[in-house]
Amino acid sequence: MGKGKKVGLAQAKAKSTARAASVFLAPALLLIAIFIVYPVIDTFLISGYKWNGISVDRIYIGLENWNTLLHDEMFWKSFSHNLIVMVFSILLQIPLGMALATYLDAGGKKFNAFKVIWFLPYLMSSVAIAFLFNYALATNGGIISSLATLIQGKRTTIDLLGTSPNALYTVIGVMAWQFTPFYMVYFIAGYGNIDTTIYEAAVIDGATRWQYIKLIAIPLLGPIFKTACTMSLIGSLKYFDMIWNMTQGGPAGSTELMATYMYKLSFQQFNMGYGSTVAAGMFLLITAIALLFNKVFKVKEDY
Amino acid sequence: MNKKVLATFFATVFTVTTLAGCGGGSTATPASNDSDSKAAETTESTDTTASNDAAETTETADASTSAGKQTDGKNVPELTTEPLTITLWDIATEDPGKSTQEAAVQRFMADYPNITVEQVHQQNDTYKQQLVVAMSSGQAPDMYMHWGGGPMAEYYKSGFANDITDMYAKYDHPEFIDAAIAQSSYDGKLLAIPYGGLSGCDIYYNKTIFAELGLEVPETIDELEDVCAKLKEAGYIPFALANASKWTGSMYYMYLVARHSGNAEFDAAYTQENGGSFNSPAFKFAAEKIQDWVKKGYFPDGVNSLTADDNQDRALMYDGSAAMMLHGSWQSSGMKADNEEWYTENIGIFRFPEDAEAKANGVPQNVEIGTAIGNGFSFNCFNSDGSVDQAKLDACFVLATQYYNDETYNNMQVEVGAIPSIKGYGAETVDDPNDKYVADVFFSASNVQLWYDQYLPASVTEVHKNCMTELFGLEKTPEEIGQEEDDAMQKALAEQ
Repeated sequence: MGKGKKVGLAQAKAKSTARAASVFLAPALLLIAIFIVYPVIDTFLISGYKWNGISVDRIYIGLENWNTLLHDEMFWKSFSHNLIVMVFSILLQIPLGMALATYLDAGGKKFNAFKVIWFLPYLMSSVAIAFLFNYALATNGGIISSLATLIQGKRTTIDLLGTSPNALYTVIGVMAWQFTPFYMVYFIAGYGNIDTTIYEAAVIDGATRWQYIKLIAIPLLGPIFKTACTMSLIGSLKYFDMIWNMTQGGPAGSTELMATYMYKLSFQQFNMGYGSTVAAGMFLLITAIALLFNKVFKVKEDY
Repeated sequence: MNKKVLATFFATVFTVTTLAGCGGGSTATPASNDSDSKAAETTESTDTTASNDAAETTETADASTSAGKQTDGKNVPELTTEPLTITLWDIATEDPGKSTQEAAVQRFMADYPNITVEQVHQQNDTYKQQLVVAMSSGQAPDMYMHWGGGPMAEYYKSGFANDITDMYAKYDHPEFIDAAIAQSSYDGKLLAIPYGGLSGCDIYYNKTIFAELGLEVPETIDELEDVCAKLKEAGYIPFALANASKWTGSMYYMYLVARHSGNAEFDAAYTQENGGSFNSPAFKFAAEKIQDWVKKGYFPDGVNSLTADDNQDRALMYDGSAAMMLHGSWQSSGMKADNEEWYTENIGIFRFPEDAEAKANGVPQNVEIGTAIGNGFSFNCFNSDGSVDQAKLDACFVLATQYYNDETYNNMQVEVGAIPSIKGYGAETVDDPNDKYVADVFFSASNVQLWYDQYLPASVTEVHKNCMTELFGLEKTPEEIGQEEDDAMQKALAEQ
């Protein structure tokens, strides 16, 4: 009897924990279900239709959209742009962020002003940044062209956004300007998490600052690197807002990313069905790349 | 300490991402993706001083209509006496368009107190997307503005626009010019009531520079090329063009095609029948001319990164580095608003020169590019079973034809430099000499070709606009561009 009651107590506890957990989780789960799970599923469903986005009739066409997607030059071109953006984002933003963080970490309190100033770009909205750089890079009175004119002594135009490979690399540069501060703060936090006793031990053992960073701090930051890379990777594969406001995928599609392509199809060209296919394709590609990336990195860690 | 850093960090991240989320949806940016802004400017970009006059006009109008309905004695449908609410979407977020259009709605509601009009001003830049979302979620307004062309056809085919051909024939309405009716129709059915006024497209030029170099206004394309050569030699940029917007470069292309072949080759290319193609002689002629001009330096350097939304083309006129600018007629009021004195002193206008050779072969030289309606209202008055909600449609029709487009409305429009697309509002009602010229050209046109980027199906528009970048950027040959446009057109036709 007493024994039975004991089990009952444990059960009751488990039950009430489960109840409390479900009560606390329900709102979040509900929101996730409504705003993430349902739209994702719906996107896949719509991808089976030929639909202009407003009409009551949707025509079910099975996998035809997916077949189109596989042979859609523009989509794969956009995807290749995404890959270029991804590679350069990781190569630029993370090392730069790391370098700035290292510098600030070494400097301590007296560099706090830099910490704030360097973080500012990340606080600006993407739209504002897009406009800022559109004006700064304008061929007519922009900073770069004006400087060039001043140096050359005659009207000189440096066209960074209006010609085709320049535009993509310019946009990558602006993205780096925007996101490097994010990784900087991320790494500062990472440095902060390394126990100071480790640093003290290293110093007592006669390590120089550089040796400490290279041999101790960076290896300890390993997991943070991995997370930062994954974030940068996913971010650059689904990037949309700043590029839309800077170039809208132009000139002539040379900065078209998967997301801008999807937006144009869905909302400007009355092709919601195929636009959803592109969105679903993006979803699959991004998931696959992120998983692959994680897998590769885990293998490395095991060594 | 560490936790504090992390906490601050995440707090910031959340704040920023939240802000960014808001920004994405609701930020009003002038970087409009297509031609919206030009249509919008026809109704919006006029100097604000005019809005005061406009307001005064409203007051007098209100006083005069207090005696009876202004529709009394007119042949209009009998409107319901039951309470009725109409939702109306437009893009009149700014004066003078805002006060002109709100006044029309106020006059209507004063005459029909049982009918409430919920007038919603949407941001121009995201308007088309907003409308698509509203329609797909069953929240579409009862009455909404658009720019005619391909999208209007799309709304109609999807069941969001009433066919008002019969009502228009039956009831009183303003006498719209033929081009405006044509532009408000699709497949022989009238789908919209124009209310924005027309916009022509002509070449603004700097009179002072022309005088300084002893240049005459060119009458033919050959003369225009002579003028360009002389301007270039004297160190001026012949054409101020901001082609990041793409529809701006398209104006040169459209006019060269129109001068070389009238409407014939474009109409043929549009159907892709009887040998019609975007690679037919007129299109090749246009593309080759443009590339030749680009190579000769007749357009500004970095032409594909200058945007018309920021008026960077106008800026080249202002600082005296460029001498001519092919643009929509809304530019007059824009320049006047910036510096009226400079504008009056320096800016003249002429129509796109003629193709002498084509003229000798009998090709009409008075096909003009532009829009005959600016904006139009379509009506979405249906019952849940799909039948027409006639009571609501009647009310919308009366509002659009008798309150918008009435004398008070039109006078307010004229006041701010817009020319209503109604017979009788010709050149004589306009003060500004350049606007007068535009109206003259427009009213004597044999045909008005709506901007390609509004006329073509949406998917072809996108390709056409990219082609304009490639054309001016010398990235593709005229043949490749024609081929791209043909492919897109054929694909769009196959999907219809």
